[in-house]
Amino acid sequence: MSTQPLADFLAHSVELESEARERYLELAESMAAHHNDAVSEFFLRMAEESRLHLEEVGGIAKDHDLPELKAWEFQWPDEESPETTSYEAVHYRMSLREAMLLALDNERAAEKFYASFARSSSDENTRKLAAQFAAEEASHAAQLVKKLGALPADSGQHLEEDDDPHMPE
Amino acid sequence: MNEPIKLKAKDYKSSVKPIWCPGCGHFSVLNALTKAFAGLGIDKDDTVLVSGIGCSSRLPAYVDSYGFHGVHGRGLAIAQGLKVARPDLTVIAMGGDGDGFSIGGNHFLHACRRNVNMTYIAMDNEVYGMTKGQASPTTPADWDHSKLTPHGPGVRPFKPAALALASGAPWIARGYSGNPNQMARLIAAAIEHPGFSFVHVLSQCITFCPEQTDWKAVVHEREEEALVDADEAAQLFLHEDGFQTGVLYNAQRATWPPSVPEPQSTDITRGFSV
Ligand SMILES: Cc1ncc(C[n+]2csc(CCOP(=O)(O)OP(=O)(O)O)c2C)c(N)n1
Ligand SMILES: [Mg+2]
Repeated sequence: MSTQPLADFLAHSVELESEARERYLELAESMAAHHNDAVSEFFLRMAEESRLHLEEVGGIAKDHDLPELKAWEFQWPDEESPETTSYEAVHYRMSLREAMLLALDNERAAEKFYASFARSSSDENTRKLAAQFAAEEASHAAQLVKKLGALPADSGQHLEEDDDPHMPE
Repeated sequence: MNEPIKLKAKDYKSSVKPIWCPGCGHFSVLNALTKAFAGLGIDKDDTVLVSGIGCSSRLPAYVDSYGFHGVHGRGLAIAQGLKVARPDLTVIAMGGDGDGFSIGGNHFLHACRRNVNMTYIAMDNEVYGMTKGQASPTTPADWDHSKLTPHGPGVRPFKPAALALASGAPWIARGYSGNPNQMARLIAAAIEHPGFSFVHVLSQCITFCPEQTDWKAVVHEREEEALVDADEAAQLFLHEDGFQTGVLYNAQRATWPPSVPEPQSTDITRGFSV
C-alpha cells in the first residue's frame, strides 16, 4: 500500500466497515433463528452503527478512484478485517454481556488499525483522516463501556433452552 | 458496449437466510465462495452448486446461482454428470465430512480418479452436525462427546488429503473457516484449475465440537509452493498434522472425458458394414 496511500487507505476503510456490518447482520439473523433475541437485537444495532460509519467513509471515498481489490488482496493485521466478529467467538447461547464485550474488542481493533495509519502513513491527508476515524472508533468503544457498566446483573447469563443440542438418551 | 456491472460478494448471496448456528464454520465457506466469485467475476447464470445432505450441504440455497440439493453422499455423482453433459458450466460440488467420506466415500474416490474439470469443497467439522453430533470418518479416535460412541469411535480418522492423492486427485488445497479471505483465494484457484480440484476446509462445529474453537491456535499456512511430485505429496499428507493450509498439491493430468472427435455419418455407416 504505497503508490496511492489515501485511495488504498479508503479502500480498506470501506471494506472494514462493510464487512463489520455484513457480519453483524449475519449474526443478528442467525441469533434470531436460534431465539437469542437480546443478542440478535444488539447485533442489529451494531450493524446500524456500522452502516452509518460506512456511509460517512463512503461519502469521502466517492471522490477518489479506489483500487478494486479482491478479498485476498486486502492487507489486514489479522486474518479478517479488524472490526469483523470472528465466527468461533460466538455461540447461540451467548449472553448480551458477552456479545457487548466482543463488539468492544471489535471497536478497539478498528481504532488500533486506524491509529496505525494516523501514526505511520507517508501521506498527510491519510494521517489526518485516519486520526479522525480512530477517534470515532474510540468514542464508540467508550459508549459501549458505558452501556456495559449499566447492564443489569443477570445480563451475563447464558440463554436457557428446552432443546439441548445433545443426543437423545 | 456497456461494461458489465461488477458484482460484490454479497450480490452472490440469495435471499434465503442461513439457519446454521451462529459461529458455524459453514458461514465462512459461504462468504469465501461468494468472495471468490466476486474476485473471478463469475457469471451466476453459468454456475451450478451441487450438494448432498447435511448442514454444509444447505449452502447452495444461500447462493444466487443455479443449485441442486441432492441425495446424501451423491452430490459428486450428480455434479460430474452435469459437468460432462454441460462442459460450458462452472460446476462446484460441496458437502460435509459425513456426506463426502462416509456415505459418499466411494463417489469421492472415483471423482478423484476420474478427474472431471470441476471443484469439490468438503466442509470438515469432524462430526455429523445435522443429525446432532455423531462421529464421522474424520472424528478423532478419542472424541467421547456422543452417546453413540461414549469412549470415542476408537478408530483412526481418515486423512482426506492423503485419500484424495492416492485416488488420483491432481489438485489439493486446505482452507480454514477462521480465514475466509485466504479460503476465497484457494477456492478461486480451485475453480481456475483445469481438472478436479479438491478443497478440504476445516469448518468448525461450535455446537457439537466446541473444542474446535482451538483450531485458530494450531492452523498454520504452508509457506512453500504447492508440491507437484506425487511421492513428495504422499510423504507430506501421511505425516503432516492436518492443520496446514494453502494449495498443497498441484499437478496436471488429462481430464475426463477425453475429447474425441464427433463421429461422422460415414464412420457410423462403416460401423454397420459387413
Ligand atoms: C440416505 C441417508 N442416510 C442418512 C441420512 C441422515 N443424515 C442427514 S445429514 C447426515 C450427516 C451430515 O454430516 P456431514 O455431511 O458431516 O454434514 P454437517 O451437518 O456436519 O455439515 C446424516 C447421516 C440421510 N439424510 N440420508
Ligand atoms: Mg460434518
